[in-house]
Order: sequence, then C-alpha cells, then structure tokens
Amino acid sequence: MKNIYVLAEHRKGMLRDITWEAIAAGRKLSSELGAELTCILLASQPNTMSENLSSEGVRVKVVNDPIFETMNSEAIIKVLKEVLTPSGSYVLLMGASNAILDFAPGVSVALDAALATDCFSVETREGKLFASRQIYSYKINSLVSFKDSERVVLTLRAGSFPFTTSGGETKGAIENVACPVDSTSLKKRFVKYVEAEKGDVDISSADIIVSIGRGVGDEPDLDMFKSLADSVGGVLACSRPIVDKNLLPKYHQVGTSGVEVKPKLYLALGISGAFQHLGGIKGSPLLVAINKDAKAPIFRVANYGIVGDLNEIVPLLEEKIRSLKG
Amino acid sequence: MNIIVCMKWIPDTSEADLTVSPGAKDIKKDDLDFDMNDWDRFAIEEAAQIKEKVGGKVTVVSVAPEESEDMLRECLARGADEAFQIWSDEMEGGDGYATASVLASFINGRPHDLILTGTLAEDDGAGQLGGMLAEMLGIPSATLASRIEVQDKKVAFVRELEGGLYEAMEMDLPCLIAVATGLNEPRFVSIRAVRKVASIEIPNLGTGELGVGADKIGHAGARIEIEKIELPPEGEGAEIVKGKPEEVAARLAEILKEKGAIA
Amino acid sequence: MNILEPADTPILGAPAPAIAFIILFLSISFFFYVMYRRINLLRKAAPDPRFSDIPTRVQRVLVYGFGQWRQPRYLGAGILHILLFAGFIILSLRSLTLIGRGFSPTFHIPFLTGSVGFAYDSIKDYTVLVVLIVCVIAMVRRAVFHPARYDHPGTIGHEHEAYVILGLVSALMITDMIHDGAALKASGLSGEYYRLPAATLASMFMPTNSMPTLNFLHVGGYWTHILFFLGLLNYLPVSKHFHVITAIPNVFFSNLNKGSIKPVKYGVADWMELEQCGVSDLTGFTWKHILDFYSCADCGRCSDNCPANTVGRALSPKMISVKARDYAYEHFPVFDRVAQPGRSERKLVGDIITEQEIWACTTCGACEAECPIFIEYIDKIVDMRRYLMDRGDIPLSLQKPLQQIKKKGNAYGAMKSKRSAWTKDIEEFQIRILEEGEHSDLLFFVDSCGSFDPRIQEITKSFARTMKRANVDFAILGPDENDSGNEVRRLGEEGLFEQVSSHNIDAFQARSFNEIVAFDPHAFNVIKNDYPEPFKVIHSSQFLARLLSNGDLSLNGGYLRDRTVTYHDPCYLGRHNGIYDEPRRVLKAIPGIRYQEMKRSFSRSFCCSGGGLLLWYENEEEKERMGERRVKMAMEVGAQVIVTACPFCLINIEDAIKTTGNEGKIEVIDLVELVDRSMS
Repeated sequence: MKNIYVLAEHRKGMLRDITWEAIAAGRKLSSELGAELTCILLASQPNTMSENLSSEGVRVKVVNDPIFETMNSEAIIKVLKEVLTPSGSYVLLMGASNAILDFAPGVSVALDAALATDCFSVETREGKLFASRQIYSYKINSLVSFKDSERVVLTLRAGSFPFTTSGGETKGAIENVACPVDSTSLKKRFVKYVEAEKGDVDISSADIIVSIGRGVGDEPDLDMFKSLADSVGGVLACSRPIVDKNLLPKYHQVGTSGVEVKPKLYLALGISGAFQHLGGIKGSPLLVAINKDAKAPIFRVANYGIVGDLNEIVPLLEEKIRSLKG
Repeated sequence: MNIIVCMKWIPDTSEADLTVSPGAKDIKKDDLDFDMNDWDRFAIEEAAQIKEKVGGKVTVVSVAPEESEDMLRECLARGADEAFQIWSDEMEGGDGYATASVLASFINGRPHDLILTGTLAEDDGAGQLGGMLAEMLGIPSATLASRIEVQDKKVAFVRELEGGLYEAMEMDLPCLIAVATGLNEPRFVSIRAVRKVASIEIPNLGTGELGVGADKIGHAGARIEIEKIELPPEGEGAEIVKGKPEEVAARLAEILKEKGAIA
Repeated sequence: MNILEPADTPILGAPAPAIAFIILFLSISFFFYVMYRRINLLRKAAPDPRFSDIPTRVQRVLVYGFGQWRQPRYLGAGILHILLFAGFIILSLRSLTLIGRGFSPTFHIPFLTGSVGFAYDSIKDYTVLVVLIVCVIAMVRRAVFHPARYDHPGTIGHEHEAYVILGLVSALMITDMIHDGAALKASGLSGEYYRLPAATLASMFMPTNSMPTLNFLHVGGYWTHILFFLGLLNYLPVSKHFHVITAIPNVFFSNLNKGSIKPVKYGVADWMELEQCGVSDLTGFTWKHILDFYSCADCGRCSDNCPANTVGRALSPKMISVKARDYAYEHFPVFDRVAQPGRSERKLVGDIITEQEIWACTTCGACEAECPIFIEYIDKIVDMRRYLMDRGDIPLSLQKPLQQIKKKGNAYGAMKSKRSAWTKDIEEFQIRILEEGEHSDLLFFVDSCGSFDPRIQEITKSFARTMKRANVDFAILGPDENDSGNEVRRLGEEGLFEQVSSHNIDAFQARSFNEIVAFDPHAFNVIKNDYPEPFKVIHSSQFLARLLSNGDLSLNGGYLRDRTVTYHDPCYLGRHNGIYDEPRRVLKAIPGIRYQEMKRSFSRSFCCSGGGLLLWYENEEEKERMGERRVKMAMEVGAQVIVTACPFCLINIEDAIKTTGNEGKIEVIDLVELVDRSMS
C-alpha cells in the first residue's frame, strides 16, 4: 500500500472528533507500512479545517465546492472516485459515523475496494492489513483480511483509536484540487438539518446512556444523574418505575415496553435488571451497573459492577470522569 | 411504483450463548433460531405502507437458503406481491459485497423505482449492503432513513445523524433507501395471515437464472476474508469493582476511558 | 248502588269491549312487530349453540332468573330489584285480569276465584303499595345519591330512561289504586285498610261520595291504567328496559363453559378459510351476544367491578353493551329509514368501541361474575381482538412477545433448548425430563413463566422441592413444552393458540401420566378449558390441599412469625374455575396462622392487571396500577403477607409493593413458596 488516506468528516463547518481518531489510525498504518498519509477534505469553506489538519503535520487534499456544505454521499462517491483512482493501491480510513455510513459502502464499490466497517482495531503483519470488528450482536470478535485487494476502505469505531497531538512542529502541505464533478446535477440533495424537538431525547440512537432505576429512591437528585450523563456525553434514560413516578417522561424508558436501545456504553444506576428492562438493552457491548443490592440480576449480565450507594459514588465518578477528560 | 425490498435471513444471536465452531471462521448455528433481520422488517413494512398509499407492486428478494421461506411468506402476508428466493450452494461463505453482486444482477433488468432494505443486519453488523447495491446499480442511496415520503418522481426522507440531529434530504427515483428501525410500526402478522398467502409460489433462483458468474458469488466473490473469530474475553457475570467509594469511582472512570466511553 | 264497571261503560258512544279490542289489537300488534324486528337482527347474527344441557339451564333460570340470586351482591339495590321483580310477577296476573275486565265486568283468571281470589286481591293490593314505595325510593336514590355506576359516559339520551320506566310503573300503581279505591269507596265498606291498604289509601284522597265522580275515577283509572300498561309494554323493546322481557331468556342461554373461549365461528370446519376472522360489526357477534346487548339494564355493576375501569383505562363493560345496543337500534331500527348520508360511517369496532377499550381488558371475569343476568364480555372482547389481530392492529408492546411465542414457544425470547435450564439450580436432586413413551404419576407443566422468568423460577423450584419432599413421582416436559397459550388465545391470535396447544397436546399424548399439575392458573385454565383434547389437570393449590389431607405434608408457622396473612384470589383460579377453598385450606393448615380476608375476595377479587402476555402490555391511560390498588386493599385489613397462587399476581403485586413504597411493611408470596418455607 503506497498511500493512506483519511476522509475528514465535518458538520456545520467544524471537523468532527472522529476525524482525528481516523488520523491516529492512519498514522499508525503509515508508519507500519511506510506509506504516506493524506487527509482528504471535501468542504465548502475548508480553510479553518484544512489549517487545523495541516497544523498536525497532516498533508491535506482539499476539494472546495458548495455541495460539500454537508456530507452528501452521491457527491462524495463521485469525487473520491475521481481523486483516488489514479493512486494505485491505498487504504482509505473514515470514522464509523452515521454520516459516513451513508457512503462508505458506495465508495468501496466505486473504488473497486474491499470494505470493513466499524473496525475497533487495525494492524499489519508483514505488510498485510488486518482489521478487527464485532459480529453477531456485538458478541463475537472477528479478525478479517482483504484477500489481495489493492484498495481497502475501513471505517473505524469511535473511541478505539485515541488521538494525541503531534505538537504542531511541522505543517502538512495543503493541496487544492478543483471539484471534478458538476454539483448542480446531483440526484440526491440536502434540504435542511432537523433538530429533535427540545426534550425529545432520542435514547434509541444514543451511544452512551446513563440509566436510572428504582434503586435511586423515591426522591432522587435527578440533577446529579443528568450531570453525570453530561460528563460522559450521554443521555439520561430510566426503567419503568421512574416513569411511573413521573420523574422522567415515557420516551426515556428503556425496555421491551419502552425504547429499545443499542448504546456503546450503558451505565445502569439502581436498576435491578428485570427482564423487561434487559430486553431493551440487548447487544450493549459495555454494560456497567451500580446497585446497592449485590444480588441484583443486573450483575449477572453487566461487564462491570459496583455494589454501593449511588448518592456517594455518582458524584465521585463524575469528578473522576471530568478530571480524566481534562 | 415498483418497490423491491431486500431481506436478510439471520440467526438470532441476541439471546443465545454463542460458541465458535472449529476452525474459528464462524459460530455454531445448529441451535440458533433464524429469523428476519429486524431492520428489514421495517423496510418491508414501509414498502407495504407506501404501496397502500400510492399503489404499485412490492417485490421481496432474499439471498438465503430454503429455510428462509418463512420469512418471505411473512413478507407476502405483510403485503408484498411477489417474493424471490435466491440461493445455490456456491453462495455459501459470501460477504456483503458478494450478496450485493447477486442482488444487483437480480434487480438489473427488472423494473424498480424504489429499493428498500434495512441499514444494518445483526449478524455481520456491517451496514454495507444498501450502499454497495445502489452503487452497482448506478442509483443514489441513503441509509438510516427514519421517515420516507414518496413524491412525484422523487422521495423526501429524513436520516439520523448523531445526538438528536437529523438531515432532511430528497432523492430522484429510482433510488435505494436503507431504513432505520422505528420509522414505522410494523403490523403484526398472524398465523392466519401467513396461511392466506400459502398458495403464492416463491420462485427459487440460482446462479443459472441470474447469469452471475461463479467468481462473483460465495467465498470467491467475497472481498473480505475472515481470519479468525473469537469470543471476547469475559468472566462470569460482572467484574465487581471493590474498594472505598473514591477508589471504585476512580477505577470505573479508568475503565470507561479504556473502553473508549470517555473521549 | 253499584259502581259502573269499565266494560259496561261506553266511551263516546262506543261499547267498551270494542274499544278494548282495538287498543289491545293495536298495541299487541305493534309489540309483536317490534319484537319481530328485534329478533330478526338475532337471526342475522352469527350462530351460537345454546341449547345444550337443558336441566342446568332451567336450574339457572330458577336460581338466577326467578331467584334473583346475584341481586343482593349490591344489597340495597338488590333488595329494591327483588321487590320490583316480585311485584312484577304478582301483578302480571292482575294486569291480565284487568285486560279481561275491559271485555267482561266479571272476568277472572281461572283459579283466581273464591277464597284464592280473595287472598290474591289482598296480596296484590299490598304489592301495589310496595312497588309504588320502591319506585319512589329508586327515583330518590337516583336523583339524590346518584351512584356513579349509573352514568353513561360518552353517550347521550340515556339518563332519562330510568325515570321514564319508574314513572310509568308508579303511574300504573296509582291508576290501579284509583280504580280500586273508587270501587272501595262506592261499596261503602270501611275498616278494610289492613286487607286492601292501597285501595284504602287511594279512597282516602276521594272526599266525595258522589257516584258519578267515583264512576269516573273507577273507569278513568281503569283506562289510564290499561294505556300505561300497554305503553310500558311497547316502551320495553325500544329502551334499556328490554331486559324485562329478555333477562330470563338471557339467563337460560347463558354460557355454561366458564373459563373457555368460544371458537372463531361456530359451525365452521376451518375458520382459517373464513373471509374475515373475528368481529368487526354488529352482525359478526353471535345472536346470544346481541341478546346480551338487548338485555343490559345499564345497572353498571360490571363496570363498578371492572379493574380496568377502576384504574382509569378506557374500558367500561357496561358501555360496550350500551353502545352496541344504541348501534343496533340505530342501524336496525323498528321502521326502515331512508339512509342518511354520513349516518352510518362510524364503525362499531374501532370507532364506537375503540381499540383502547378492546385491549384494556385483562379477561379477569369480574364483570361476568357480577352481572345479575349473565351478560358475557370476554368472548366479545376476544372476538373483536381477533378482528384487530387479523388486520395486524395490535399494541406495539404485545407484538414482540407474540412473535417470540411464534418462533420460540415462549414470550421471553429464550431458546427452546433452555426451557429446562432452571433444573440445574437444584443441586439436591435430579429433576426428570419425561421422554416420549415414559410414565410419571404427575406431569409438572412449568410453562414459559416458570421456565424463564427469574422470579417465577423461584416458585418452580419451590414446587419441585415440595413434590420431592412429599415423595411424589413427577417429571417435566423440558424443551418439548410450549407456551400454554392462555393469553395467546385471549389476545385473539387463534392461529398461534392452535400452534402452541397442538404442540403441547402432541407432547402430552406421547407420554403417560395420571394428571398434569400447574402452579400458573392461566396454564391450568387453558389446558382444562380450552385444549380440544381432555386432560386431567390440577392446580398446585389443589395438589397441596390433597397432600395435606393425605397427611403427606405438615406445616409450621416459622416463616410467617405471627404476621397477618391475607389471600389474593387469582382470577383464573377463582372466578374462572371456582377454586376458592383449597388455597385457604392450605393456609389454614399452618398452625397459628393469623388470617384476614380482604373486602374484595372470592368472586369479587380484584385483578392484579393480568397474567401471561399481559405482563408485557403497556396501558397509557391508567392512572394507577391495579396491583397498587390491590396492595392498598391488603394493607387496609392489616395484612403483612399477601399470599397468592398465581405467578403473575405475585410479580404484579411485588412490583406494586415497591412502587407504593411499602417494602418491608408487606410481602407477597406464592402459596407454593409459603408451603416450601413452612414445611416441617
């Protein structure tokens, strides 16, 4: 593989964090394979973003066109095909985000490349590329390779490739490329962003959920739990008794009778683990439970557990999390 | 309006204790119940609802062995007009790319305005079929659609981004939409509803009928090679973090960071 | 001087018998025409075989029809009704006599002559007075105290009906009194107040002795009485008071198969082939069910006892009858009307009887146990659910569990092979899985809940331990067992019920056993009452009672520790199968037990919100959970331990104890677990 490419993801003029994680993975591969790392930025007002990338020593290829105000899959597939086809063999890295899920498979077909999505690790052995991903309801780890593909597209699971800044000593070159496609003739068009209504938290698509149950007591300090959820960038959800007590609205309820969720982290606070509730969190890869009852069934299915008093542990946990985030 | 819905037949692994089969290329599936991929259930329901609203014909197709007939019958009971099962033994061991190749050769030359499927399947969790298929057919596509409205010659839809943000978009027909769960309320299919469609024949198409080359299907057509699968290491039940409140809180925060939950 | 008799008094020159004939002819003709129209609707309805076991039906008519057996469940209203009903019976002879008197002044019903007639006149006169008093009390009761169960939420024009009928009956009594009072006064007899109190009372209001006035009152009272009587007769079939005519037949045709659900359609070889499954419109109901609608007197006892109604769900059984009857009278009127556009656009099932009402029912049977005239609701609800189910319209919360049963034979989504996994938790002994061709004395039907729900597994294990200690030869079906299907059938998924039940029946028939035992009353009920093949099945409480009476078990009060115990009757054990005594016998075998009955017990037990699949069902409207209500009832009688004999009651009540914040104050335990912990 001669080249490592990273496609930058942005929204509303800002790079998304996952781009940096893809760059971290790209750096690892480029050093292992001795290949050059280039970040591809398709944007309508790219300057700040390209500067950001460049300042990390990353070479940047910029396509500046109004169509790239958003991540329009049709335009991205067409442009990447034009831009990357001359490159011979390469690995294209992207974050496994909802925006990128819209075009990564199409890109792989357009580039005649092999694709592995949602990889949590990538490695090389004697110049051969391997990726690890999860299959069967996230219960099985699968190590895959790419036959003899000259081109490989990988999307990377958020949180799996920690990025550290290079210190900004050398700047990456910024190369501007004219947009090779006619953006006025697209069959797929962005209309507008739609924000979920205020209060209308969609826990079903949340990646991190802090969920409270009966064990929080009759008059829980909801702010304490909300604050913990904020600290991990998650949303607050609950089990049925909390809704019954009118502490949270119904659409916060996780369970077979409420909302079924598939977060990457589920933090169960004071939830005993009734099957109706557990039925709603199937396939959560990381389930952490805190409960004062050591015999609570939740501990049978959780990955990590703490037996203790929520009022004591939650503020401490938030404090530690915030300090770890720096 | 010709709607084609692509369905996947997968083992239900959400409740099961999984074991890796010898050779570590796949899991043991003998004890597992197979069922329609849940995401695809929303796709067929959406197709049925669109048909009820604007008329047309719904065709269901699945690349799956004979046992998947139950799934296709359920689709017919939901309102599909015809169903096709595509399978030959050589298709075993294919990946999403190989399946997309087969589906593309099925759909090519067949009238299609809208192709629907689920964004993801629980078995490989790849979320790749829709996008690959659309690109092979040369039509635009979108994933994670949480609302779809068919208009004249185009379709308006809303797709999910993260954190409660959605993007409203539109696409010209023909196009492919991979749906998100929850975009409709799939109707209940009773035993009797399935019985009512029992007489509809479900043609079984093999490589011959589709004219797809042997190099495109099964393991040969796959672009990914599974080297090894394994169960993630885990102990019996939860690992209980013990100690004083400060200690357990600190340890848990570290675990969350290690696992990538704190970015 | 003799008073003029009506038959001898021409009216406007026309002879009275001719007038009587015309009035009688017109009103009877009209009455029969209306009855013909009403019965015609029954003939359009679905078939329903209701002529089996005539002796039992006759007995029911005597006990519950003429005997009014269920009336005193509401003591005050019941006594009033019994008095009115008795009055109605006694005075029917009088009414016939009076009709005859329009033709001949000396008309008598055969046998009602001489001393019998003399006595009857006195009895009748007392009755008239009693009925008048009852009518006045009933009107005052309605107007002043206005019991909530008499309301008709969501409909108009029903409130006055009771006053119309009570007014008409009062008018009948008063005109009768005037008729007789005038004759009494004219006869000059005095001191008759003890024999003819009503006539005497009326005569006291007649200050004059002038014969023309008394003649006028006597004859006028007669004719107004006749007109009111015939008016009343014709009012009955167009109002809620049709029950006066239909109640006795309704009791005669009542359902004798308690606990079971009717087939999709009677007399159909393969219901799967039907154009439509279930009931979407009036004529989809069976003729008996429409007779139920005719017969409802709007007394509201059903809704007053309906747990769904009590906690604020959309369901009121009475209003189903009222709304369906309104619909019947509107769409099948006495006189054909020209169809008005838009009039009939509202559908009976879906618009008038809403989906919320239809799904809110727990099938607890409280309404049916309460109805004085055996109106049925469960079969109707199930029939309507069958229709909604056929269209795929079922509450989201029920979809998944039903799908799971379809695929895996249990609502929990667990793998079939794990059905006997709980046995591994018992280390002391091995639990036998009965293989095909083998025999065991007792086949323990664990059902899905006992196999997969971690809390209910505790009951399963307790029961297994108890049987083991009593040296009973028992075994389970293991992976060959399927969900019993009780709720599957009651939710209207008949095809799935057939699937699971036939699977279980095959499994039973491939093995040999003396009887089946189940601790879940739902499983017990469905095997006993719904499975098409007969199997001997007993409930755990019956089994435990038997062990105790055989001396195979002895209990101590160690676990209860002097706490006050109450027993919650599970619907499918008590109301649906009449098992009230055995569980109590078991409890009372615990030495020194302090037992306190709840106000709502036996057939008035209050549903905990439903078992089986209803555990998954989410209701948006309810303000309080039924289980919470039940916990309060137990605490009101000072109970510290609620014993039940149903795993779902246990789960619901246990949940409710937590949500009402009563943990530590009261505990709920299954009878099986209590026995297990009290064995000595």
